[in-house]
Amino acid sequence: MDSRHAAPSPEPVEVPPECRGFVAISVRLTGFDEFDLRATGMVRLYHDTTVDQVGREAVGRFIDDLAAVGGDPDDLADETSRDIARAITHLWYLGVWPQLARSVHAALGREKANVAFMVSPEAYTEGLVWRTFHGHAPGAKPPGFGTWAAPPPGAAPLPAADCRTEGAA
Amino acid sequence: MSSPSPQLDGLHYDVIVVGAGLAGSLVAKQLGDHGWRVLVLEAGTRTLDTWPGHLDAMKAYYGALAKVPNAPYRGNIAAPSPDLLDLEGLPGGGYRANGYFVQNGNLPYASDYLRAAGGTALHWMGLTPRMHPEDFAARTAFGYGRDWPIGYADLEPHYRAAERVLGVAGDAAEQRDAIGLPFPDGYCYPMHAIPRSHLDNVLAARLDGIPVRESDDAPPTTLRVVTTPHARNSTPDLRYDQGRGYRPAGAAGLPNYGERCVGNASCVPICPVQAKYNPLKTQATWSCKVDLVPRAVVSRVLANANGRVFGVEYQQYDDPASPVHTTRTAEADIVVLAAHAIENAKLLLVSRLANHSGQVGRNLMDHPVLLTWGLLDEPVGPFRGPGSTSGLECFRTGPARRDRAPFRIEIANWGWSWPTGSPSGDVARMLGITGDSGQPRGRGRFGTGLREALGRRIGRQISLQFAVEQDAESRNRVTIDPALRDRLGNPRPVITYDLSDHVKRGIAAAKAVSDRIFGILGAEDHTDYAPGPFAPGHFRYDGRDFVYHGAGHGAGTHVMGDSRETSVVDSWQRCWDHSNLYAVGCGSMPSVGTSNPSLTMAALALRSCEQIHRDLMDLHRPRVIRPVRVARARTGEGRT
Repeated sequence: MDSRHAAPSPEPVEVPPECRGFVAISVRLTGFDEFDLRATGMVRLYHDTTVDQVGREAVGRFIDDLAAVGGDPDDLADETSRDIARAITHLWYLGVWPQLARSVHAALGREKANVAFMVSPEAYTEGLVWRTFHGHAPGAKPPGFGTWAAPPPGAAPLPAADCRTEGAA
Repeated sequence: MSSPSPQLDGLHYDVIVVGAGLAGSLVAKQLGDHGWRVLVLEAGTRTLDTWPGHLDAMKAYYGALAKVPNAPYRGNIAAPSPDLLDLEGLPGGGYRANGYFVQNGNLPYASDYLRAAGGTALHWMGLTPRMHPEDFAARTAFGYGRDWPIGYADLEPHYRAAERVLGVAGDAAEQRDAIGLPFPDGYCYPMHAIPRSHLDNVLAARLDGIPVRESDDAPPTTLRVVTTPHARNSTPDLRYDQGRGYRPAGAAGLPNYGERCVGNASCVPICPVQAKYNPLKTQATWSCKVDLVPRAVVSRVLANANGRVFGVEYQQYDDPASPVHTTRTAEADIVVLAAHAIENAKLLLVSRLANHSGQVGRNLMDHPVLLTWGLLDEPVGPFRGPGSTSGLECFRTGPARRDRAPFRIEIANWGWSWPTGSPSGDVARMLGITGDSGQPRGRGRFGTGLREALGRRIGRQISLQFAVEQDAESRNRVTIDPALRDRLGNPRPVITYDLSDHVKRGIAAAKAVSDRIFGILGAEDHTDYAPGPFAPGHFRYDGRDFVYHGAGHGAGTHVMGDSRETSVVDSWQRCWDHSNLYAVGCGSMPSVGTSNPSLTMAALALRSCEQIHRDLMDLHRPRVIRPVRVARARTGEGRT
């Protein structure tokens, strides 16, 4: 088609990435960047879990509190907001929504049991904690036969004579 | 004496096997291959031998909050299983037992098992060390426990047979050299040893050749890191079987899948690719002569007044969430109980059989496990590979056994997962989340600081697992109480358990050895034996605190011996009191040494199959006027 004769194209519509605000906060909480967090496929589920567990109002106050201290969760002073920060971080690292502090549970007036639970089977395999030490979730993402014999990053080299690799043919 | 015979359903087989776990599956395999018609009755469900069933278990494992050994396997109220989560430590010491077991001992029996087709070996670690020759005569040689009526030499060919059917990867030359295990000349395992972990190599570099003393006046013992044999697929050894080699068995339910271990690091509770042996692999090779009926809880063994058994009564159910069932019977020439040490004892007690000696249910043993943990000065690569690939074998044997129980030291490849629940506990602690939600929480750290601190801490975690031999004591026992029953009306095991001073001295020596090893390694020791909810195995000995864990190695409850007066089964695992009733499994072991017992259990089961086959042949032989004693003696078929 000859573009000179086409109708002027409409303004390109900016499609916002999913849960942009939640991911931005999660980057500050976890120390992992947006690419890593989105690659887990867990963003929507964790966002919804958080809202479901503590309610929109509390999430709103948490966002405001965090904004008030420049986005640094270490500076959160309100204990409820701080416990929400702990819970979201726990969720990302382990796939588990944790028990809230009893006082926070009461303050939020939650109408559900204050118990820890795995959010979904996949949440376990996507836990970030394994990546902090160059590991993988047990039972998922196996690195291959004999890989456990290799030194992890940061390990001192072993004397060659003591490196036994028999059977690793 | 058994109760009057129920109305019989007319189902008749050559052999009934009770339990489709490791021992039962091997017995059914051997006898089916000999052409005998075998009925296997499994109390639990049969969902795991198809690929969708296996994937369902994987999902359950991923979704479980506590990754305990039974986590992947669905609960069943018709055939309940004990679970590690049933035990709770009390704040000031002591324990509380919930769940299937009733426990009234000074200390808790701290192990689980699994009632399902495939059995507890679905979640075993897969380590297959042989017992040491001196383990078979600890009473004679060292003055504790019980002796076996057979020795290592009697069992050696069956060890080889078991290593074939389980598919063992190992280094026989190293086992002979480091532990002193006798093998026939030129023997090699079916597969080359599973490669050592990086941690094994680090420890070998720092420990090999160094003498340590477990106390100031003890003789030195030289440390050496030794690779462990595994029933786990590795690289086949072309030399095996006189050059015929070995073809590893893949996954059950999905052809051409599985084979070599890929390092999922979840052997317990489930190997996703089934590189680790499990009994479903054996079941997949059963002949058409073997029928497996799951959801069939054997409630009683049926016996005639003349002492011969003729079948079993069982309860068949449809829905594992409901106690609705139908009572049926099946008959056979020979009945083999293979339902786990504790379930076998329970069945014998319910049926009031085999107990002339009074030993049914007694001599309950496990391997109490002492864990020690610390941080090394550099990353070690925890949570990689099989749970343990090497150990220190030098405290398993020798005259020190007179004074204290011996122990085998497993080098744990999975950080502090067993002692402290890492990495979940590490994350919670660094976030300031305490175990008690009523307590004020720490400030916690976030962001890059959290990520780096976790990596530094978890990445350096090491742990040693000391599996201590427990001696057979008649006071450690399984009983039943008519007032304490499960939902199907079957009695729950009532367990009385304790540790002898011999075992406690072994545990104390293990801790002393750990202290010295950590010292040599330069490791920062974090071992802590305070009582609390996660320490039901807490006890004090000689003024010090200890915590032991269960190894899942229940044994001794239908103990083998050389006399009807003092033991339940003979060396063929045949009940002294009933010539056609066998009780197979770890329950037959008079002592457990320091070896993980599944290989020995498999060897014993294979050995029993020879005698069961002879018994069946005898039953089917036409009656002759003049016994052909000469021929029998020549072929070595005489019973012992």
